[in-house]
Amino acid sequence: MILQITLLCGVVIFSAAAVLLRDLLRSAICLAVASLFLGIIFFRMKAPYIGAFEISVVAGMITVLFVVTIALTKTEGDVRESRAASWAFPVFFIVFLIIDVMVTKSLLGRVPALESVPDRGTFGETLWKMRTFDLVGQIGLILASVFAVLALFRKRSKDE
Amino acid sequence: MNNTWLLYMAFAVMLLFIGLYCLLTMRNLIKLFIGVVIGAKGVSLALVATGFVKNNILLAQALAISFIVVEVCVVATTLALVINIYRQTGSLDVRKLTKLKG
Amino acid sequence: MIFLFVALPLVVAGILPLIGKISKKVLPDILTNGVFAALLALALLQGRSLISRGPVVETFSWLGEPLSLRLMLDGFSLLMLITVTLVGFCISLYSINYMDHYGAKANFYALFLVMLAGMNGLVLVTDLFQIYLFLEVAAVASYALVAYGLGHDELEAAFKYLMLSAVASVFIILSIIILFGLTGNLDFAGVAQGLKTLDAKYLVGICAAFFIFGFGLKAALVPFHAWLPDAHPSAPAPISAALSGLLIKVSGVYALARVFLNVFGLTPALSTVLMYLGVISMVAAALLALGQRDFKRMLAYSSISQIGYIILGIGLGTPLGILGGLFHLLNHALAKSLLFLNSGSVQMATGTRNLDEMGGLGKRMPVTAATTIVGSLSIAGVPPLNGFWSKLIIIVALIEAKHWAFALIAILASVLTLWYYLLIQRRAFFGKLNERWQAVREAPFWMTTATVILALTCIGVGVFFAATIKTWIQPAADALSQGVRVTLGGLGF
Repeated sequence: MILQITLLCGVVIFSAAAVLLRDLLRSAICLAVASLFLGIIFFRMKAPYIGAFEISVVAGMITVLFVVTIALTKTEGDVRESRAASWAFPVFFIVFLIIDVMVTKSLLGRVPALESVPDRGTFGETLWKMRTFDLVGQIGLILASVFAVLALFRKRSKDE
Repeated sequence: MNNTWLLYMAFAVMLLFIGLYCLLTMRNLIKLFIGVVIGAKGVSLALVATGFVKNNILLAQALAISFIVVEVCVVATTLALVINIYRQTGSLDVRKLTKLKG
Repeated sequence: MIFLFVALPLVVAGILPLIGKISKKVLPDILTNGVFAALLALALLQGRSLISRGPVVETFSWLGEPLSLRLMLDGFSLLMLITVTLVGFCISLYSINYMDHYGAKANFYALFLVMLAGMNGLVLVTDLFQIYLFLEVAAVASYALVAYGLGHDELEAAFKYLMLSAVASVFIILSIIILFGLTGNLDFAGVAQGLKTLDAKYLVGICAAFFIFGFGLKAALVPFHAWLPDAHPSAPAPISAALSGLLIKVSGVYALARVFLNVFGLTPALSTVLMYLGVISMVAAALLALGQRDFKRMLAYSSISQIGYIILGIGLGTPLGILGGLFHLLNHALAKSLLFLNSGSVQMATGTRNLDEMGGLGKRMPVTAATTIVGSLSIAGVPPLNGFWSKLIIIVALIEAKHWAFALIAILASVLTLWYYLLIQRRAFFGKLNERWQAVREAPFWMTTATVILALTCIGVGVFFAATIKTWIQPAADALSQGVRVTLGGLGF
């Protein structure tokens, strides 16, 4: 449990670092490290499939996409983030943390929860038999994003 | 069991706050979008934690996989959009995108 | 059978790029319009008989094993399907001519078909998470469609739309997760049952608030409307019509109504919140529309205002109010897409959207002018067009429920709407013909055909309003007004 809480704090800290760092590349790396920690948290929650998926897709593919974009958009004068936002962040963070802790404490032991239908079968059966229509949705999503990227990068013809 | 759930949800909400803050205050388009990715991390954490607590870890993993696919597709589309904006205006500053007044 | 509504557009969208390599324009045109026509015919002809004995649930089995593909078609879903396929058919007819000069037509049709699949899927599922999933499918397709022209305005509008929409989606999925944690279920019946037996007012209230924020942003209710006046004018005209006429209704109003009326149950507090949101949208957007010079921006603000009417009617909760709200949904979809398509015709002919620069176009573009009159009068609520009946029903429902102030505001907003639409008419189509437009011609064949079909439907629904209400709207209103009983009644949900 202690390890879980440490890892969770690690995720939060690296995400905050990704926001505060000025260099875009370092932000992307911090994001990847945060995803790595999140994947380990998932493994320890007895969810190996999603842990592997998170690490390979979010820490892998999304980081690659970010690095490619950063490489393609190197500007001459980098966009200067406002100093005020960076200095104000810890203040807002601490305030929100306090509110968060207070709300959590007040809800301790008072959250009613109903039993749910326990999982049957293996993960494969759950994904392919119980949530089949989700897969149709995923196909739709992948088609949408593929066509979106194709449309946004198409060659402009002469009569546009 | 429910206290564990509250603990995980508290962290997920923290991640969501960081994501929202980044979205509201950053000026670089790519930085701004990192906020959305952090928010998505918070949501996946909430999803898997809820499944873990309710003994439904397999269902939660199936849902979380769908959610990560959503996230990847949105990231791909947005980054394509950002690259196009860079090619059009030459800068990644969100303050330059103020032609439309809402 | 019902699965076709989602599967057919996806399959055709998948093969369209390949076909686009063989035939740049003709085959994609025929295929896309064929898909829309086929689904429209399916919905119109088969729909009524399918649901005549209560909602239909389809489960599939493949290779002997039962898959869990539960799709549910009830009155409300059928009404949305008909609206989406009818308006979508006219929009794709219009795109035959309009999208010629944007390039990559097959790609455009593919994106449009994926958006259609997402919207159809949204209205047919029985599961909260799947509503979120298909909402995202339609949304991702719409991001690319708004930015399709690749100009500065379009890209900026698409980026802002994307950011706001992503925030809304995050709140929606968070609310769904909390509900899953509380009730242990994701499908409508399970969650409704769980919410009835649970006693967690604080957390359920938070979930409801998140849903109002998320779905309200998708539906462009004030104060979550900021993305719409930028996104809708910048998109190509058929996409403006699709967004304003269809997407905000399916992913905003349908999802809101389904979740709040059939799953949560409409409590008095919820009803009050929805009614106030509706009234504020109605008035604020109407006032903002008055000051606009851009044709499409005025139409965009008018959309926000009319969505206010729909939410006011549905939020009222009485059977008559829901009936009026749903009827107005259908009417607004027809009329607003008609108006946006016409604005595209005008933009294509004159190259401008600025009302001050237009003038006297009615002489050179008679069909466009006539259909715009029909659309404007319909939304403004002039008898005997369809908009009049739906607004009348909403106002009567408000008076019946003794909400005098709301009824009065609704009538006044209606007058405001009429005023700014007549302004458009006068500035753009009547008056002296500006010399710059001496040489404009009427819009090409498919564009005028599409708008004429929509205009005739407006007139037809207006004249035959009683028959329309009895056949299509009443079953939808019944499904909603029975509230939680529908999901709990075990009617296959």
